[in-house]
Amino acid sequence: MDGTQVFQTASAATQALPGLRTRRRFWRGELRGSEYTWALAFVIPYVVVFLVFVVYPVAFGLWMGSEPKLYTELFDDPVYQMSIVNTVLYLAIAVNVKMFLALLLSGFFMRPGWWTKALLMVFVLPWAVPSMPIFTSMHWMLNGDYGFINNALWTIFHVNGPAWLDSRWLAFGSVIVCYIWKWMPFWTVIFIAGRMAIPQEIYDAAKVDGATGVRAFVHINFPILANLYLVCTLLSTIFTVGDFNTPFFISGGGPAFSTYVLATLGIRDAFDLSQPRLGVAAVMTALPLVIPLVILLMRKLKTSQVQL
Amino acid sequence: MGYVSRRSLLRASLGMAAVGTLARPHIANAAAKTATVWWTQGFIPSEDTAFRKLVSDYEKASGNTLNYSIVPFAPLRQKEVSAVTSGVVPDVMEDADFSFTPLNAWADKLVDVSDIVDTQKSKFSDIALLSRNNYNNVTKQRSFYGVPMKSAAVPFHIWKSLVEKGGAKVSDIPNKWDPFIDFFKPLQAKLREQGMRHTYSYGWEVSTIGVDPINTFNAFMIAYGGKDLVTKDGKLHAQDPQVREAVIKALTKLTTDYKDGYVPPGVVNWNDADDNNAFHSKLCVIDFDGSLSTELALIHEKEQYDDILTHGIPLGNDGKPLPAQVGIFGAVIPKGAKNVDVAKEFLKYAIEPKVLNEYLKGGLGRWAIPMPEVAKNDPFWLHSGDPHRATYIEETLFGPTMPLYEAYSPAAAQVNAEHVFQVAWADIVNNGMTPQAAADKAFKRAEAIFAKYPIQQA
Repeated sequence: MDGTQVFQTASAATQALPGLRTRRRFWRGELRGSEYTWALAFVIPYVVVFLVFVVYPVAFGLWMGSEPKLYTELFDDPVYQMSIVNTVLYLAIAVNVKMFLALLLSGFFMRPGWWTKALLMVFVLPWAVPSMPIFTSMHWMLNGDYGFINNALWTIFHVNGPAWLDSRWLAFGSVIVCYIWKWMPFWTVIFIAGRMAIPQEIYDAAKVDGATGVRAFVHINFPILANLYLVCTLLSTIFTVGDFNTPFFISGGGPAFSTYVLATLGIRDAFDLSQPRLGVAAVMTALPLVIPLVILLMRKLKTSQVQL
Repeated sequence: MGYVSRRSLLRASLGMAAVGTLARPHIANAAAKTATVWWTQGFIPSEDTAFRKLVSDYEKASGNTLNYSIVPFAPLRQKEVSAVTSGVVPDVMEDADFSFTPLNAWADKLVDVSDIVDTQKSKFSDIALLSRNNYNNVTKQRSFYGVPMKSAAVPFHIWKSLVEKGGAKVSDIPNKWDPFIDFFKPLQAKLREQGMRHTYSYGWEVSTIGVDPINTFNAFMIAYGGKDLVTKDGKLHAQDPQVREAVIKALTKLTTDYKDGYVPPGVVNWNDADDNNAFHSKLCVIDFDGSLSTELALIHEKEQYDDILTHGIPLGNDGKPLPAQVGIFGAVIPKGAKNVDVAKEFLKYAIEPKVLNEYLKGGLGRWAIPMPEVAKNDPFWLHSGDPHRATYIEETLFGPTMPLYEAYSPAAAQVNAEHVFQVAWADIVNNGMTPQAAADKAFKRAEAIFAKYPIQQA
C-alpha cells in the first residue's frame, strides 16, 4: 500500500464517520452513556421472550404447514369440508347473536336498583367459571338418556326430550347456545362500561325532544356505541376462530365429525391421525379469514371517530 | 474485596450463562446409564404398581436408572406424537394406540428392535410377532419396530342377572353369531315392562371415536366373512365381493339394531370408556369391549363381579370358529433417543418370560401375556378359579386369532384413525344413506388412503 492509498483510505473513513454517528444516534435515541446500557439490559429479556414464545412458535407453525401437498390432502378430506362450513356458521351465528344480545342486555343492566346489580353478579358467573368443568356439566345435562334437561322434561311434562347431541343440527345448535351462554356475560360487561361513558346530558336533552326507550337506543346509544360494537365483534370473531373448548367439550365434534370446526379438526389431525403437520395446515387455512379481520381491527382502532 | 462495576457484573453473568450452556451436555453425557421411559397408566391401580416394581427390579439388577412417567393413554398419545415430531424424545415409550407404531415405522422414526425381540422370539405368539413386524418406507422392508408385551382380545360382557330378569337363561345363550346376537333383543322389552325404562339390549359402540367402534365393526364384518378386508401383504380388498358383502351386512346389522332402538341413542357420541360406564350402570345387557377392564373395574364388588359373564367370540353362522382380533401393545424406541443401549437392555429384561409374567399378573389379567407356553404353565392364567380370566385367555391366546389390520399396513392404521367404516354407519343413521352407498363411500376413501402407502412385496 503506497502513501496515496493510505491517504485515500483515511479520508474515506473520515467521510463515513458522520453516517456512523447518525446511525448510532438512531439506535440510541436520546439515551447517553450508561442509560443506553441499562435500557438494553431491561429490553433484552423481553426481546428474548418475544422471540422464543411468539416469533419461534409462529415461524415453526408456518414451517410445519408449508408443504403444498398437505393442502391437497386436507381438501380431499370430507371432514375438512364440513369443518369449514361449520366454522363459518359458528362465527356468523354464534358471534353475532352473542354480541347483539349482549348489547341489549347491557341496557337492561343499566337500570337503577340493587336487584339488577345482584342479577348482574349471577349473570357473569358462567364467564367467571373455567370452561372445562362448565362445558362438561353442560355435556352431561344434554345427554339424551339420563341428562338433566330430558329428565326434567320427563318429570314435569312427561315428554321424551330429543337426543340433543346425536344429530348434527341439534348438536351444533347446542354448541352455539352453550358458547353464547358462556361468553355473553363478558361482552355485556364491556357494553355496560361503554354505556356508562355516555354523558347523562345527552339523554336529558333527547328526553326533552321526546326520544326515550327504543328511540333513544336508535338515535343515541347505537350511533355512539357503534364503533365499540364493531371493534368488539371483530375481536370476538378472531377469538372464536380458535375456540376449541366449546365444540370439543359440548359435542366432541360428533356425531360422526359433523360438528367439527377448524380448531378441533387441527387437534384431531395432529394427534388422532398422528399427522401434526396436517393439523397445523388445517388451522393455517383460517389465516385468509383472520388476517383481514386483524387488519380491519387495527384500522378501526387507528381511525375511530367516536372515542369511548 | 475488589470493586464490582456494573460492566464487570454484566460480563461475569454473561460468561457464567455461556459456560453453563456449554457445559450442560457434558454433564448429561456423564450420566449415560439413565434412560427416560414413558408408560401408559393402567386401568386399575395394581397395573401401575406392577410397572413400578418392574422398574425397581431392573434398576436393582442393572445399576441403571430409569426416569419414568406414567401417563393416561390419551395425553400419552399426544405427548408421543409431539415428541417424534419435534425430535425431543424419551428413550422408551409404550405405544398408546394401535396406529402409532405402524405409522411411525413407515416414516422411519423408530429404532429397529429386532435384536430385542430375537431374545424371546420362540416364546412369543405368532400374532405378537406379526403385529410388531411393520413396514418401513425408507428401508422398503418389514422389521420389528415394537417390542410385544401385552395382548388383548375383545370379549362380550353380559349381565347374567339382566338375562334372567328378562325371562331367559344364561345356559340358553346360543353359540352361533346371529342367534347369539339376536338372543338379547327380546330381553329389552321384558326389562322395560319391569320399569327399566333406560335399559337397552346392546351397548355396541356405533360411534366414530376411539378404538371400540373399530373393534365392533371388525368383529361383525369378520363374522359375516370379511376377514380378508386387508391381507398380510398389506393390500386392501375393496373389490372382493365377499368382503364387500360382509361390510354391507355388518353395517346393516349394527345400524338396524340402532335404528330399531336396541342400542342407546347416545352411542353415536360414545368414547372408549362410555360403554364401560354404560354397562356398569346396567344401561345395556351385553357389551363388546376390549380386554377385561370392564370386569376388573368391579373386582372389589364381588356380587357384581360374579354377576358378569365373560363370553368369547361365538361360532360363525356356518358353525365354524371365528377368529378373534388380538391387539398387541408394547414398547418402542424412537429415533433420536439418547440412551438406546440402556433402553434396549431394559426392554430385553422386561420381556424375559418370568419378568413379563409377573408384571402382567400385577394387572390381574387385563392384558394377556403374549407367550402362550408361559400362560399354560402358570395356573394364574387358566386355572385360578377367577370367573372371567380363563375365558378371556382362551380367546386371546388359544382360540383362533388374527392380528389387527394395522399390523399389515400403516394405511389400515390411518383408515381406522379416520374411522372410515364408522363414518359409514353415521351416513346410514343420520344421512339416510343405504348400507350399499355408505359402504361404497367408505371403500372409496379407504382406497384413496391405501394409495398413499404403497408396500413393496419381498
